[in-house]
Amino acid sequence: MSMPSDAVSPPRPLSHGRAMAERSTEATDVAPASDVADVADGGAGSAAQEAGGLQVRGLSKVLGGRTIIDNLDLSVREGELVSLLGPSGCGKTTTLRMIAGFLAPDTGTIAVAGQDVAHLGAEKRPSAMVFQNYALWPHMTVFKNVAFPLKLRKLPKVDIARRVDAVLELVNLLHHRDSRPGRISGGEQQRVALARALVQEPDLLLLDEPLSNLDAKLRVKVREDIREIQQRLGITTLIVTHDQDEALSISDRIAVMNAGRIEQYSTPGELYARPRTEFVATFIGSLNRIEGSYRDGVLGSGSDVVGIRPEDVAFSATALPGYRPATVERIVPRGHFSEVYLRRDDALLRSYLGGVAPAPGDRGYARISKAMIFRNGLLVSGTEATADQ
Amino acid sequence: MSTTAQQRKAVPGSRGQQHGPRKSASTKKPKGKRTSRLSPLGFVLALPPILLILLFVGFPIVLAVAFSLGFTGGLNSVVATIGLNVHEADNWWGTLAAYQEVFTSSRFQADLLVTVVVTALSTLIVLFMAMGIGLYLKMKDGRMAKLLSGLAIIPLFIPVVIASWAILTFYSADGFLRSVFAQFGLQGPVWGYTAVAIVIGSVWTSLPFAVLMISSGLQAIPDAMIEAARDAGASFPRIVYSILMPMAFVPIIIASTFTAIGVIGSFTVPYFTGPNAPNMLGVELTNFFVSFNQPQQSVVMAIAVFLVASVIAGFYVWANFRSAKDQGRV
Repeated sequence: MSMPSDAVSPPRPLSHGRAMAERSTEATDVAPASDVADVADGGAGSAAQEAGGLQVRGLSKVLGGRTIIDNLDLSVREGELVSLLGPSGCGKTTTLRMIAGFLAPDTGTIAVAGQDVAHLGAEKRPSAMVFQNYALWPHMTVFKNVAFPLKLRKLPKVDIARRVDAVLELVNLLHHRDSRPGRISGGEQQRVALARALVQEPDLLLLDEPLSNLDAKLRVKVREDIREIQQRLGITTLIVTHDQDEALSISDRIAVMNAGRIEQYSTPGELYARPRTEFVATFIGSLNRIEGSYRDGVLGSGSDVVGIRPEDVAFSATALPGYRPATVERIVPRGHFSEVYLRRDDALLRSYLGGVAPAPGDRGYARISKAMIFRNGLLVSGTEATADQ
Repeated sequence: MSTTAQQRKAVPGSRGQQHGPRKSASTKKPKGKRTSRLSPLGFVLALPPILLILLFVGFPIVLAVAFSLGFTGGLNSVVATIGLNVHEADNWWGTLAAYQEVFTSSRFQADLLVTVVVTALSTLIVLFMAMGIGLYLKMKDGRMAKLLSGLAIIPLFIPVVIASWAILTFYSADGFLRSVFAQFGLQGPVWGYTAVAIVIGSVWTSLPFAVLMISSGLQAIPDAMIEAARDAGASFPRIVYSILMPMAFVPIIIASTFTAIGVIGSFTVPYFTGPNAPNMLGVELTNFFVSFNQPQQSVVMAIAVFLVASVIAGFYVWANFRSAKDQGRV
């Protein structure tokens, strides 16, 4: 899978080098903003500085009397991979389709690589899309599928063959050059779809739930392939997904969407460690969600929502400082770890324990090391249990 | 060892295996086994229609072909006695005298030309219109599209006889079209009793089926295929040419061959709306059989129509084979 130097856009490597360098410095500087509304900007003022990438401003869409997208802002830096993550019906695919040009927004602007594309049809936009069901044309061979976009640009046959072969080599499918899509596996079809998008050397690569039709093992492999190719080519990429694993593992930043709005736009680590809203906290990862109050590792009554990650609940067979008596109520084996339900006097807590799991009915001690407190859906404090209680 | 033993047991497809735990045995070759076991019963079930066709269609065809070759004895003796201008076999294999008479007559040649031209023209127009309607339905969704799809199949519910009369009176010398033209002091065309009226009538009768066939073929193409082409930069005509037409290839071929075979063998429309002569062969062979009492010549014409239709049918078979090959079914 070596990348021939002339395969995809000769000038690209230069700009990508820059994009990568920028990304590595910027990835860390996404400061937790206090207000949810301006979060979507992702790094204040970056939009003005960056001509490249994708800039979406004030995007709205009403379909059938329902507001699907509500004044959405999103900026993706050049060479960055961003995921739109959210539950079904949150508007993420609608957003992607508006960016791709298949759906006209009611309001808002869309700029790709500094060019306003909102008024252009999909066929004129500098973006390329990978569809959920791949949308490979069954009557064309793999080669012809990938060559089609170039044929439309009336390139010389020799150039088309060279570029298509280079891209097929990149996605490791040269041996299926003359196969029909129906004759190759799902994962391979996926890669053909990716190749068809990449061969266009798009300024923006859009992927609509690209892995949802693959089985679990293949999904992990293909998503790593996608990430690797994306990084190598430095293509600005926007992925729509409902799979948090997928988003967390390959994205530079994730925009978590809910009801047509972006709830939080941060790096994967930031999203997980410091979710700004209760929705994000429950959507990303697992959460013990308990209504009440929290103080010094103990839950009490109250009207807030306390969120505790399972890994922040520790269990010990012997009494330790800060631990409170607990009974093991239920155990769900999860392979690499066990999900253990611990009954304390203040709450039932879910914990992830590695190693030898206790048995149901066992008595021991549990401690909450960290909890997040939400009021009206917003994070008000992420409390660290004082270390040596 | 166990797998080969299992396979060996499974392949002969003994009945005992079927009732036991089917997993290992039946996954091997369930289909072949079932068909082989059921095929005698299936054949018996299919026998009545097969016998019926052999007896009432196949056998008369053999008789008719023999008659056209001049074999006038046996079961053909009655028709040979009544009919005029019957050529008798003068060889062991018969005679081609009837064929020679028909094929060299200028009357038949003109009829054949009209038949082929009307068929080709009607099929082209039907295809063109059905594609247009199908594409409109595919691309646009709304009240207008629904109305159009409804209108397109109306002819299906109007008997051909009535439609033919309507077309005739509409386009005749004193018909509606000319009356409208006359309101403005103009001379409208007279299409009643011309080949033009046959084409109009044929299009009318063939359009609904072609629209149903082609639009359902186009509807079956996932929108994502079209969007992917747009995303790649394809214009609408290019999408039609490179994506939609190839992907709806089989329905389009089915619609066109069915239309062509329907038109070439049509009787009602050309009988009512067409000219006396030259007319389409369906009408002409009826004339020869009924009016001129020349059954042998009429059979020769029927065979000629059949041969042309066979060419169209061959095209249909070829198209289906090609698509099956494309999809890896053959």
